[in-house]
Amino acid sequence: MTGKQKKKLMNAIQVTLILIAIFIMLVPILWIFLAAFKNHIDVFQLKLLFTPTLENFKSVFAPPYYLGRKLVNSTIVALVTVLIAIPAATTAAYAFSRFRMVGETAMLVTVLATQFVPAVVIILPFFVMFRDLGLLDTRLGLIIVNLAIVMPFAIWMIKGFIDGIPIDTEEAAMVDGSSRVQVIRNIVLPMAAPGLLTAGIFCFIISWNEFLFALILTNRDSVTLPIGLALFKAEEGDLWNLLSAAGIIIMVPMFILALIIRNYFVQGMTMGAVR
Amino acid sequence: MKDNTLKYLLVMPAVLVVFATAIWPLIESLRLSFTVGRLNRPGSLDQYLGWENYSWAMLYEPAFWNSVQVTAIYTVVTVGLTTLLALGLAMLLVPGGRLRSGVQTLLILPFAMSPALIGVSFRFMFNPEFGLFDAFFGVLIPPLADVSWLANPTLAFSVCVMADVWGWIPFLTLVLIGGLASIPRDTIEAAQVDGAGGWRVFRDVTLPQLLPVLAVVIILKSIFSLKTFDQIYMLTNGGPGTATQTLSHYIYFNGMKYGQIGYASSVAWLMVIPMIFLTYAYAKFVFRKR
Repeated sequence: MTGKQKKKLMNAIQVTLILIAIFIMLVPILWIFLAAFKNHIDVFQLKLLFTPTLENFKSVFAPPYYLGRKLVNSTIVALVTVLIAIPAATTAAYAFSRFRMVGETAMLVTVLATQFVPAVVIILPFFVMFRDLGLLDTRLGLIIVNLAIVMPFAIWMIKGFIDGIPIDTEEAAMVDGSSRVQVIRNIVLPMAAPGLLTAGIFCFIISWNEFLFALILTNRDSVTLPIGLALFKAEEGDLWNLLSAAGIIIMVPMFILALIIRNYFVQGMTMGAVR
Repeated sequence: MKDNTLKYLLVMPAVLVVFATAIWPLIESLRLSFTVGRLNRPGSLDQYLGWENYSWAMLYEPAFWNSVQVTAIYTVVTVGLTTLLALGLAMLLVPGGRLRSGVQTLLILPFAMSPALIGVSFRFMFNPEFGLFDAFFGVLIPPLADVSWLANPTLAFSVCVMADVWGWIPFLTLVLIGGLASIPRDTIEAAQVDGAGGWRVFRDVTLPQLLPVLAVVIILKSIFSLKTFDQIYMLTNGGPGTATQTLSHYIYFNGMKYGQIGYASSVAWLMVIPMIFLTYAYAKFVFRKR
């Protein structure tokens, strides 16, 4: 075999392996898409050809499932969590990035460490406290605990973006008589906007997919979408067609959001640790 | 306003939120771990018990040690498999081109999927009658045709591992692609000019330069594996029996189903210990560059 042939063969093997990998990665997702449009009989068969139906999507929003309410809860909880987390994280990230402070490293390490605290550890005291305060099964309670996982992420991520903005423009504006607050509002915020959007989307996805907190804190009024999945485990077995329809409603909006920020996705997850 | 005052005002809200939502519950759960702490008994949350919850877990609770064992094996297996497979996939994808960068974009999808939904999806895929992966395995390994995956302890554990690996490969792959892409091309080309084969180049040139990224990836994945809860809850709920009961699941069950908040908090704190080491290792990598 000549060198050229060998290279061609190697490339063919690689492409085959890539195709197999992507097939395995996508098949569970595609299977949910298919099942969501199957009726309750077809879903119990492996067939690929069937008459598609929108019935499942109608059913999940109707009684007794009321997925619409869960959708509203998930949206409000994730949105408010983000709206609290991002402004607070932005001002903190700016201060961490531009100033030296007493106890700065200690604060940054603490923020980093809290992100790795297992959710089960912090939810136990919150459950007790919320029970006493009457915050169980409320959106407010969920928003508070979601901040625990979202906040450290947001601070580190936004700090990474602000670190990347050159300091010269800010200094020039200060020399021209702008105040620090004006500098932040007129120079830093516009330049950091893509970073803030990325962090916001990231935190939204984390809150939206959050499971353990919602499982423990909610039972009727403020149930979110991931917990709603458990509704479709009926006594006669899992209702796969409805589960799949609900699955699509949970994952498709997040797919769209994730694709919007795809270039920052990994960077955001590792907070600049890997680069 | 002076910068000196302003900077503390700027960090204040975020630091307060972190303290109230993460630090306070950590300290409070440490306190609870030394109390009788029964949800249905008023006052027991302040009833001091000493180290009894801890000694109970470690001396008299086989179920605790079972969950430690499950979590340990689960972590080692998922970290190992995910890292190896992700490294392989990253090596395949790093040359770039239309197909490869298209695949990279698709890899984001599983990662944006809720872990609970991944659990549901794998229960679906491994259904003995109409699960697609069950059908695949049935063709590849005939003895596994139509087995009840989730009813057999070993197979149920394997399905949990597969769901985890499936969910994490994309993220690890994307990070490793970033790491591979930052290795200077000329070091690899120089080795090739010197006549080193593909495997030699990988072992002697690529791997040593990738090591820091690989270490961060392994630490991060270990942290996430140790905490695993969502998929397990949706897939097997710890079963059959306690064959797939991870520590998080054990804590959840004792705290929420049995109302033993004190005991659950002590186990939770036992779980925090390995986390401290891993976080320390991770922080070392993060602050190395500052």
